[in-house]
Amino acid sequence: MHYLQDFFNLGILGSLKSIWGIAIIVIPLMIFMEIAKDIKLLDFIAKLFKPVTRLFRAQENSAFPLAVGIIFGISYGAGVLIKSSEEGDVDKQSLFIISVFLAACHAIVEDTLLFVAVGAQGLLIVLVRVLVAFVTTTIISRLVSNHSIKRSNT
Amino acid sequence: MITFDTFKRGFNNGLKTLWILSRVLVPVYLVITLIRLTPIIDWIAVLFKPLMFLFGLPGEAAIVLVLGNTLNIYAALGAIASLTLTIKQITILAVMLGFSHSLIVETAIFKKLKVNALIVVSLRMGLALLSGLILNIIL
Repeated sequence: MHYLQDFFNLGILGSLKSIWGIAIIVIPLMIFMEIAKDIKLLDFIAKLFKPVTRLFRAQENSAFPLAVGIIFGISYGAGVLIKSSEEGDVDKQSLFIISVFLAACHAIVEDTLLFVAVGAQGLLIVLVRVLVAFVTTTIISRLVSNHSIKRSNT
Repeated sequence: MITFDTFKRGFNNGLKTLWILSRVLVPVYLVITLIRLTPIIDWIAVLFKPLMFLFGLPGEAAIVLVLGNTLNIYAALGAIASLTLTIKQITILAVMLGFSHSLIVETAIFKKLKVNALIVVSLRMGLALLSGLILNIIL
């Protein structure tokens, strides 16, 4: 009997409390995301990402899929990236290097806020994830481009 | 242009996300709460203590990492919420899971981007393990 009562108190009430904590974050977030789409905030952010693509030795065109992936998540980002590469806007090396960045860092807004809802320190999460993804992608981009130069010499 | 429709779409997307999340989070939360009332949780804690210790986490936090990597972040959230963890521990888990989560579903997406699955998985898990180790030392 005690166990049942404990289970009810801890389990049902506890999970409802977590859902509520997440609801008050996720619903405003999704409204904000729709506003961001409608005021074309992404076009603006993509402009800011252009110098980043140069750092990664990727084409400037890949700034848009990069921004979409970082902010909205990998399903959106991959969709835009696949479309751009099919239309020939983004070459193979750029496709690879942007994919590497997104593998390490995507959906930064939603994921971070969800963890904040269960008690994590949001700013620290964002800083570490973005910084580590930057450094890793820059290193890998150097390895990839060195590799292709060696190949073309032989 | 922002219209009433913008808010409606956002609100509906929020509810949709919440519904998908709840369907994963609630069962995970209930099962772990149940396990915590039995000795099974202690067995798990002892078994994974040597590994989780490296990240400053209790042994039972292994459940969070396993669920997050195989299923998704929503399952990991359910596990975090049902366990007793400190802010530092939740932050370390969040960073580790940030780099490496939903490996089954997302690796399929990266394959579509023509990136080798082995590269993606080892990169993501490598970053997760390394960041966990370092954050435990500096935080």
